[in-house]
Amino acid sequence: MPGSRPIPLPCRLEEQTKRLQKDMKKSTDADLAMSKSAVKISLDLLSNPLCEQDQDFLNMVTALDTAMKRMDAFNQEKVNQIQKTVIEPLKKFGSVFPSLNMAVKRREQALQDYRRLQAKVEKYEEKEKTGPVLAKLHQAREELRPVRDDFEAKNKQLLDEMPRFYNSRLDYFQPSFESLIRAQVVYYSEMHKIFGDLTQQLDQPGCPDEQRERENEARLSELRALSIVADD
Amino acid sequence: MEPKEAPGKENMGTKKKNLPFLRPRLYMLERRKTDTVVESSVPGDHSGTLRRSQSDRSEYNQKLQEKMTPQAGCSTAETLTQEDEHQIQRMMAKRAKIIKELIQTEKDYLNDLELCVREVVQPLRNKQVDRLDVDSLFSNIESVHQISAKLLSLLEEATTDVEPAMQVIGEVFLQIKGPLEDIYKIYCYHHDEAHSVLESYEKEEELKQHLSLCIQSLKGKPNLLDMGSLMIKPIQRVMKYPLLLCELRNSTPSSHPDFQALEDAYAAVKHINVNINELKRRKDLVLKYKKNDEEESLKDKLSKLNIHSISKKSKRVTNHLKILTRGESQVKDNTFNREEKLFRSLEKTVRHCVKNISSCLQHVQDAMPLALQSMMELQEISHNKDEEESSYSESPSNAPNPSEDFAAHLQKLVLTPLSALLSLFPGPQKLIQKRYDKLLDYNSYLQRAAADESDLAKREYEALNAQLVEELQVFNLAARKILLNCLCSFVTLLRDLMIVAQRVHTTTVPVPQLASSISEIQNRVLEEVQNLNFVKDNSATFIERKLSFEKKKPVQTLPEVPRQTDTHRSKLLSTYSTEALYQAKRKCNATQEYDINLLEGELVAVIEQKDPLGSTSRWLVDTGIIKGYVYSSFLKPYNPARVQKVDAENRFCDDDFDNISLFVSSRPARDSVAGTPEGSISGSSSSLSGTCGKSETNGTDADSLQEADEQIFYAVHAFQARSDHELSLQEYQRVHILRFCDLSGNKEWWLAEVQGQKGYVPANYLGKMTYA
Repeated sequence: MPGSRPIPLPCRLEEQTKRLQKDMKKSTDADLAMSKSAVKISLDLLSNPLCEQDQDFLNMVTALDTAMKRMDAFNQEKVNQIQKTVIEPLKKFGSVFPSLNMAVKRREQALQDYRRLQAKVEKYEEKEKTGPVLAKLHQAREELRPVRDDFEAKNKQLLDEMPRFYNSRLDYFQPSFESLIRAQVVYYSEMHKIFGDLTQQLDQPGCPDEQRERENEARLSELRALSIVADD
Repeated sequence: MEPKEAPGKENMGTKKKNLPFLRPRLYMLERRKTDTVVESSVPGDHSGTLRRSQSDRSEYNQKLQEKMTPQAGCSTAETLTQEDEHQIQRMMAKRAKIIKELIQTEKDYLNDLELCVREVVQPLRNKQVDRLDVDSLFSNIESVHQISAKLLSLLEEATTDVEPAMQVIGEVFLQIKGPLEDIYKIYCYHHDEAHSVLESYEKEEELKQHLSLCIQSLKGKPNLLDMGSLMIKPIQRVMKYPLLLCELRNSTPSSHPDFQALEDAYAAVKHINVNINELKRRKDLVLKYKKNDEEESLKDKLSKLNIHSISKKSKRVTNHLKILTRGESQVKDNTFNREEKLFRSLEKTVRHCVKNISSCLQHVQDAMPLALQSMMELQEISHNKDEEESSYSESPSNAPNPSEDFAAHLQKLVLTPLSALLSLFPGPQKLIQKRYDKLLDYNSYLQRAAADESDLAKREYEALNAQLVEELQVFNLAARKILLNCLCSFVTLLRDLMIVAQRVHTTTVPVPQLASSISEIQNRVLEEVQNLNFVKDNSATFIERKLSFEKKKPVQTLPEVPRQTDTHRSKLLSTYSTEALYQAKRKCNATQEYDINLLEGELVAVIEQKDPLGSTSRWLVDTGIIKGYVYSSFLKPYNPARVQKVDAENRFCDDDFDNISLFVSSRPARDSVAGTPEGSISGSSSSLSGTCGKSETNGTDADSLQEADEQIFYAVHAFQARSDHELSLQEYQRVHILRFCDLSGNKEWWLAEVQGQKGYVPANYLGKMTYA
């Protein structure tokens, strides 16, 4: 049967593209949520009456708030960058697929027609070569020709162009990937700087974790030893 | 501990008033029968006192006599001096006895302690019996033992090889009073609980056995008959010191160097006892109120409701309202108010911190893995797996998730301490409330000037207030420290998280320095892609591409054949009957002579269903412009209804052009360039119906029959349209099916008509209606 070789459809690519688009959206949404919740921490602290009573505390919280707000701003910028260089291109790339699918379908239809008419021709060819049969055969062949040409044209086109399309993804997405990495790296290094500065600025710079933990425990036991604290 | 020698009225009063709080053993002096040594000195004591007053009198007499008979002064003076000498001697003798007694009793006491520790406490500790908590029974008895030993050694030092006239005992006590107070305070504080613990242990057979075993090893000393008497020894001892010191002071002549020291020592030791008492009282007070709040069931609460409590509570409410409306209360404690405000702010801060930091942590834990995952996916899609697998594939998948580490540390350093701290707030809060109640009571009594009640209220209030002020300060300081610690830790952890994240992302790919902007590159690629023929063929846009025409296939030039116009079609429609009208399913190319070319969807009228040669597969048709032959298989019966369908589809298609790129033109450029004068729409319509025609030929002939019949279906389920293209259906609603496929040939969606509305419905929602 003609055209029996199936075209390797890169349907995985379409699925990949769609999934990637969704995941990137989810990721950027999660990033934004995270920085929003971080800002909330410092906002709540600022609005606390403790700030009026305790100057040191107020200073600390103000510094924290500044840092959080900057984190939010940078995060927003990062998301915008990702939106522009990754998500939008993904969408555009994905918009090619319907056309591709349609072309494949049409080739399929052409194939069906082709096969049908071919079968007809063969049927007549097998019959006795009588006058009417010959006439019919001739007509069938005439019918067949344009259809076959059509199919073959479509087939060739797809065979030629689909791999090219498929390969184009490499060139297309490489810049996106690099941009994503760069955006993340820039963001994280900025954040590192911001929080490093903040750590320096706050009290007790360079206090190791175990020491903090021990001190907390000591304070907590001190509190528990007080008689006014419920000893459940 | 009110000593008997100082019977102030006030003290008597307090004794009575404190009865509810009193534990008899602690607040009232008990002289045990076993304390024989001291008792014997009691009569001596009195005699000493008597003697003292006597000597006072005699001194006074002396002075009087002196004044009255200056001449006889010398002789009386002599007699007096003699008497004085006797006096002093007697006193010194007494003093020596008392000192000896002091030392002896201390020695005995020390021995008892030693015995206790050696025979009871240590064995019990070594045995490590379950549920027998030695510490709660004996708390710091070892320290008591130690200080007693020290006291004894100091006493011995002060008395051996020292002239009686030079022995200074008071100094010893003054030296030792600090540690003495601290150690005994602890022991006395815990003794109460120890006693109740002991009682609970005695109830259990097994533990009782253990305890009695230890007791037996004490070899039945008369004053160590049971555990209780053992445990109370330190308490008794510390109460004894004031008595002893007082006696000693009383039998010390004022000229003795020890006199002043003894005075001070006596005061100090008394003070110690008072402090221990006070501590106990406060604790009792606090316990009383805490217990009230925690352990009451509704029944208990109801049973407590009596006239007294109700009146108390209502009084409090009134007072509270009074304060609210009239302003300041008479009694104020600014320190307390300040501390309380601080306390409240701290509570709010800690509460918010816990909540917000937890939610931030949650978000971080969500966001980071997602970011990593999408990065990996993007990497996958943008790289050819075969080529650069080695260098890139390792790093992202193996990178440890930075947020896990962060989460664990955050939990440990920040959330756990803060939550623990938060749970400590309610206790003091209750007490603050109680204090406020007491304040109200006190206020009301003050206003009514009811002396006794106000006194009690005042003392209760003041006790609570003092306790709270002192401890709230500690609380606030410690809480604030913890809070600040946690915030610092949080910030440090964030910094570390960022470092790790940065590192993870850097290892994946060396960050290139891209000169050109990304969009340029991508647009270029996209254009290349879109220049591919299959895209052009099937794309929705009619915009001609200015660029890259070289990629296009050479346009097949069409012989300039006039195309069918609407006028032609209408002419055909009017000229021929419906049965004769057919439509071209696809483009037909003329191959034989007298053949004509047809475009998809063009309308033709069949004149003859056979050709000159007699073959029925080739028909003579009229296009309105020209007559010729076409293969019948290229034709399908023309259905006027289909025109409407087509129009309807056109409506949909207008939208579709924007959103969904359905193919419209069947051939590249030709149709749009040399399109029918009707414009793109009819061209599209013809191609659409042509397409449908194509897809229909894929099916069986039954399909065409179905089309002709326009079967009526009904909706088995209700269906809700999700877009303009779809049609909502109610259950059992009759629908007209116009087409059994959608525009792309999908047989699962059918074009249906209901009450003039057209739209697509899912085929499996429909059932065929059978006419009876």
